[in-house]
Amino acid sequence: MSESVENKPAIKVVNLEKSVKTQEGLLTILKGIDLEVKHGESIAIVGPSGAGKSSLLGLLAALDNPTSGEVFLDGVGLSKLDEEQKAALRKEKVSFIFQSFMLVDTLTALENVMLPAELAGVANAKEKSLAMLEKVGLSHRLNHLPKQLSGGEQQRVAIARAFICEPKVLFADEPTGNLDEANGSKVEQMLFELNQESDTTLVIVTHDMDLARKCQRQLTMYDGSLVEEKVA
Amino acid sequence: MELNLAWRLFKRELLQGQLVLILLAITLAVLSVSGLSRVSERLQTAISGEASKFIAADRIIDSPEKLPPEILQKSTELGLKYATNLEFNSMVYSGDELQLVEVKAVSDTYPLKGNIELTTGETHQLPPLGSVWYETRLAGLLGNPKQIEVGVTTFKMDKAISRLPDAGFNPFASSPVVLMRMEDVAKTQIVQPGSRLDYRYQFTGSPSQLKEFEDYVTPKLLTTQRWRDVESGDSPIAGAIKRAERFLLLASLLGIALACTAIGIAAQRYCQRHYDVVAMLKTFGSSAKQIRFIFTFHLLFVSVLGVILGLLGGWVLDIGLTQFLPENIAAYDPSIWRPVILGVVTGLLSAFMFSVYPLMRLLKIPPLRVLQRQLESHTIGQWFNIVLSLLALGLLGYLYSKSLTLTLIVMVSVVMLAALLLVVGFVMIRLGHSSGLKISNPVQLAFAGLMRRAKQNAVQLVGFSSALVLLLIIFALRQDLLNEWQQQLPKEAPNYFLVNIAPEDSKPLESFFAEKGVKATDIYPVVRGRMSAIDGEKVVTRKQQEAGEEGRLGITRELNLTWRESLPPNNEILSGEFNGQANEVSVESEVAERLNLKLGDTVTFMIENQPVTAKVTSLRKVHWETLQPNFYFIFSKQALGTFDYTSIASFYLDQTKNSNNELIIQLIKQFPTVSIIDVGAMVGQLREIIDQVSLSLTLVLVLVVLASALVLLAQTEAGMASRRRELAVLRTFGGSGWLLRLSTFFEFALLGAISGLLAVCVTEFALYLFKTQVFELTTYMHWNWWWLAPLSGAAIVASLGLWRCWHLLTQSCSNLLKEG
Repeated sequence: MSESVENKPAIKVVNLEKSVKTQEGLLTILKGIDLEVKHGESIAIVGPSGAGKSSLLGLLAALDNPTSGEVFLDGVGLSKLDEEQKAALRKEKVSFIFQSFMLVDTLTALENVMLPAELAGVANAKEKSLAMLEKVGLSHRLNHLPKQLSGGEQQRVAIARAFICEPKVLFADEPTGNLDEANGSKVEQMLFELNQESDTTLVIVTHDMDLARKCQRQLTMYDGSLVEEKVA
Repeated sequence: MELNLAWRLFKRELLQGQLVLILLAITLAVLSVSGLSRVSERLQTAISGEASKFIAADRIIDSPEKLPPEILQKSTELGLKYATNLEFNSMVYSGDELQLVEVKAVSDTYPLKGNIELTTGETHQLPPLGSVWYETRLAGLLGNPKQIEVGVTTFKMDKAISRLPDAGFNPFASSPVVLMRMEDVAKTQIVQPGSRLDYRYQFTGSPSQLKEFEDYVTPKLLTTQRWRDVESGDSPIAGAIKRAERFLLLASLLGIALACTAIGIAAQRYCQRHYDVVAMLKTFGSSAKQIRFIFTFHLLFVSVLGVILGLLGGWVLDIGLTQFLPENIAAYDPSIWRPVILGVVTGLLSAFMFSVYPLMRLLKIPPLRVLQRQLESHTIGQWFNIVLSLLALGLLGYLYSKSLTLTLIVMVSVVMLAALLLVVGFVMIRLGHSSGLKISNPVQLAFAGLMRRAKQNAVQLVGFSSALVLLLIIFALRQDLLNEWQQQLPKEAPNYFLVNIAPEDSKPLESFFAEKGVKATDIYPVVRGRMSAIDGEKVVTRKQQEAGEEGRLGITRELNLTWRESLPPNNEILSGEFNGQANEVSVESEVAERLNLKLGDTVTFMIENQPVTAKVTSLRKVHWETLQPNFYFIFSKQALGTFDYTSIASFYLDQTKNSNNELIIQLIKQFPTVSIIDVGAMVGQLREIIDQVSLSLTLVLVLVVLASALVLLAQTEAGMASRRRELAVLRTFGGSGWLLRLSTFFEFALLGAISGLLAVCVTEFALYLFKTQVFELTTYMHWNWWWLAPLSGAAIVASLGLWRCWHLLTQSCSNLLKEG
């Protein structure tokens, strides 16, 4: 994409709002959010439950539509895109890590990692996936199904899957939320190593302040608004 | 790449047993269609094949004159084989003895089916020219002559016949049959212009050839000519065959309907399981086209495997069943293609039609589900699904049964069930709003659970109820049909007929039977007479009527009449009464209808040149299949008692017992003038057919039970996740193990009881339609079902539900929370 020039931010958010209809009436989840994330930067979005962190993530990652305002992902305004174009954009530029891992439970570790690469038509998907799994220390678990892996191992598979297509932006929703401390820190370490190695922009939604502090910036949300910004 | 992915997902899910349910559903649908269609086709071919031996052909044209040569030429062109029979009555002479016989002259292609059985045990094709074969009776009547004169020619009495393949069954045939070659007829010089002749043309060929010929010939036939087959109603087995065929069709149709329900439910489960996968694929940027491609192919792989397994299953079923069939029937080998094509079409069509809606919902899953797990796709109108499902059912039903009535009745029943479910579902949802989680009493808790899951339960009710409805329908019809046949052909149906019993032999014969302990029917006196008038108006034939002759439609051939003091036990009076009073006659209802005879009308018969007039005082239904002496007209004793008569009777003897053979010999010695007709073989054949049909009915029932079990299983699988979450909550808040088990039991039991009740309502309605519109059976309410079905529904569903939930009910609270 020609727009992805260095001087443009990886993510730019202008006056973003999101409201949903409920039985009690209209509920505003996000109120006038403005935000810029540079290429290669890592940011953490923190805040109490219900503050709107995951909703913001959904909008930034082109998974949802805002009520008003605009999100520019690598210079592309999302409001002008239809669902198919958004999917194409996600395929090319972004990737994800989830709290509940979201692996396809019927596919093996290797097949799970290969999945996005194959969808994107990457030629040597299998070789790349093998290399990725080796990086996350799971080359001995290639043919195991998710249910045969521990939580930490499953999240490492998810990390390998997230980096296989060399995304420009990686969104992580509570990546250590379902893990114990030891596994959690192992996963954090891998996430940041791979992030630096591939110069990816990293957006993490988390409750874990230790994880948040490892990011270059921490944004705090409260009741649908960004209320505080700390720079590490 | 997408194909690869679809294949990989399919392979993995298959190996991990995730596709078992939908595969089983498709397999069962295909298996029941292909297996049953082959089995029923085999039975049908076999039954009609066996039955067509009764008429020594597949089709017959009866005609009082020769058929135009172009008709016969056409039959040859179409590849049919035909044989010509000419039948006429004539006196034959041997020295000073003379006897009226029925001459049957046949072309050299006779018989097309079956064999002429001779008393020597041989089965020969035809008598040589210049010779006749004859019924044993004739030799006795003429004093065993070496030759007889027929017309102006002398023929050699060559061999005695024990049975002709198309002799049919007519114990009244008073004249013995003489069989000769067609070429010899001219030599007798009997056939002159104006002679009363009966031509019978017999045809055999493939069903398509016969159909083409039928289409060609029937418009050309005169009113005096008749086209008939073995099912034309003359054969005692025709009714049994027709009903059995319809039942087989219906049962398979219901089997398909049930398998379709299973496919529908399984497809829904299948799609729900893939919600997360689709959300994830979308998150990773798959286009709608890619996802559609992946899941269409995935489903196609599942369907193809299901179809293959179903076809194999059907084949094994057919082979298995063939082992139990008698050899002559197993030898029929119907075309393999029809069941295969039907199976493939059923499998693919039902998988497609029932998956379209869930698949559409699946493809519409928003990617945001990866973050907000409760998100589902916007509901596309449920009516679309209903229309599609009904369409699929109708299409498959009609494709299979080719009967609009059957298909429509099945569909109307389905719609009725759906309407009832809608009402029940609505009531439950309304009640559900007011119920919470009450953790004090298991019944309350069960009730609350049932209401809370109202929507999901409505779907479950569909499965439970439709399975029950189909089971009940099949069960009831099977029982009714079997009972009907059993009544018509009791185990000890008569297998011997006695004719020409002289009046003075009646009493000794009765004593003989009583002494030997033989079960015999009453002895019926037979007087022959010809109908001459109804209500004083001269009767004419239909042909004469058409020729413009004045008079009322009647039967002008000679009839066998009997007189009695009361009606025989197997005759059912439909209207009026029979008191055995002077000049009273009871008429068989179908003849009465044909001749427009009503109670109070008078009929006049010419008997021994004297008119006898009697008043119609009752109309009777006669079961012609019972193999007992049956009559169109039964008079009071005073009306006919003064005429000369001989009598007839029938009785049953176990032919496998040697002592009974001796009994027959004894009977012949003691009553030398009485003729004995052995119909044992025919009765055996009739019984065999009924046994085969019963066997196939049982098989169908087994398949339906299997399909029902599958639906029930698919049902309990659904909603397991929400149940787990709820149990976790109840456990956390202190619900004890027994309380949860008991409330789960009650919840399923209640669901089963409601299903049972709904099922009975729909079943009674559907049975009424089936019995009145298709099977011509007596309708009645099954009162005991009204408590039996809810009770057994409760028991079955509760046990199945408990079994499926047991692992949840016995888990610790932490486990439930962790896995939930």
